Amino acid sequence: MNANEKLRADRLVFYEKDIQKIDKILTEFLRLSGAKCVLLVDKEGHLVTRKGELRDINMDTISALVAGSFAATKEMARLLGEEEFSALFHQGTKDNIQLTLVGDRTLLTILFDDRTTVGMVRLYATETARKLVETFAQAEKEQGGMDLGMDDQYQDRAKNKLDAIFGPPRKG
Amino acid sequence: MVQINFALKEVNCKIVYYGPGMSGKTTNLEIVHQKAPEENKGDLTSISTDGDRTLFFDFMPLDLGNIAGMRTKFQLYTVPGQVYYNSTRKLVLQGVDGVIFVADSDPEKMEENLESYANLEENLKEYGKDLADLPHVIQWNKRDLPNALPVEELEKKINKYGVPTFEAVAVTGEGVFPTLKVLASMVLETINKIDKNAAKPRAQAPSRPQAAAPQPAAPQPRQQQVQPKAAAPARGRAAAQGGKKKAPARAAAARQAGGRTAQAGRRPAAQAAGGGRGRARAPQQAQRGPARVQEAAAAGKSSSGLFVALLLFLVLAAAGAGYVLFFMNNK
Repeated sequence: MNANEKLRADRLVFYEKDIQKIDKILTEFLRLSGAKCVLLVDKEGHLVTRKGELRDINMDTISALVAGSFAATKEMARLLGEEEFSALFHQGTKDNIQLTLVGDRTLLTILFDDRTTVGMVRLYATETARKLVETFAQAEKEQGGMDLGMDDQYQDRAKNKLDAIFGPPRKG
Repeated sequence: MVQINFALKEVNCKIVYYGPGMSGKTTNLEIVHQKAPEENKGDLTSISTDGDRTLFFDFMPLDLGNIAGMRTKFQLYTVPGQVYYNSTRKLVLQGVDGVIFVADSDPEKMEENLESYANLEENLKEYGKDLADLPHVIQWNKRDLPNALPVEELEKKINKYGVPTFEAVAVTGEGVFPTLKVLASMVLETINKIDKNAAKPRAQAPSRPQAAAPQPAAPQPRQQQVQPKAAAPARGRAAAQGGKKKAPARAAAARQAGGRTAQAGRRPAAQAAGGGRGRARAPQQAQRGPARVQEAAAAGKSSSGLFVALLLFLVLAAAGAGYVLFFMNNK
């Protein structure tokens, strides 16, 4: 793997048209499954996109906890001789969460209540995961060799922002 | 791994505070949470034992705001430092973009420092990462100890890659921000790194974010007016204890047992966006689960012990997630 390939492997990039395709798939999933909302979270705990009814929820925290939860079960699976558990289900009194692995980098996090059933959610989650994997594969193919597209001023402006938040560099 | 989302116009990076047990990792994060400007910080979530020892991780999002059209966010994590929790440390390290290694300046902790640093390197290797290439810095914490090892000795024994180092007394805030700032800068430098000669022309241009002037945050003095954690602490750890006792109850996830996540958080959450200490409050269901994990640790490491620990972590994380989703959504 050359240096650029390594750099690309160390990043997860989503372009607007990719997210539009993903959003369309998620919207269709919500319509078919009857779930309340769906988040797509990468395995490092960053939110990729979301659809559905969600108010006043701290997305950063929920993404981190979902990723941590999934990572813990992956290790459990390994101890049991499985490669990983591809799905998790948490049952609540009113609401439930279904986590489904999508490819090897993202987690489909589905919140649903008694308007639907876990069977319906799982049925469509599997199909949705398959479509998302195809979308990611297509996106990755198109991204190969592309310039990242970040502003050239990003680095300098980032340094200024860090100085503003954390204070200027110490002299001497 | 850095996530760049041109649709949401966001850049997300993951920074982990690593180090031996009780070296000051959580204290660092608490200080960042206390002292960061309101508009930049999110809530601090801790999954910890009844005794306030990190069980799975502490987490805090730090939003740098709009930089050249991209909202740039850091997810700051700490890991449990105790040797027993190596499996969970590995989990938290997944996708890390930068590490702050918090070393304890106590001479008696040198062996633990070395063991932890080697452990970091080993765990990163499992993800195909090389510590030599990963942005990381070392913080020599607890410089207020009367018998603190000289920095030269610490450098010689621990800093084998010659990375930037910082002296700190985390419990008072000294050195916390400089450490984080430099590491953040190192991580951001890697984002746009690409060999322009090797890049092919774009097949389809992404929607380029509009370059925007950075929104200046209120400048922060380097030394905040720190509330002393304890009266003239002789040892950094004693001061940290004093500070933690004043903290609100720990995350809902730390107190939950069993598979039902809906029981989390009878109290309303303290998670106002970007507000105050922002610790998720625990429902008053004190569980003995975490204490049992520690007893299992005394019996030695075994697969069954690890399995139990991971099961507990799963429950705690799920409870925390459930708490946030259910009760915030139904507020």
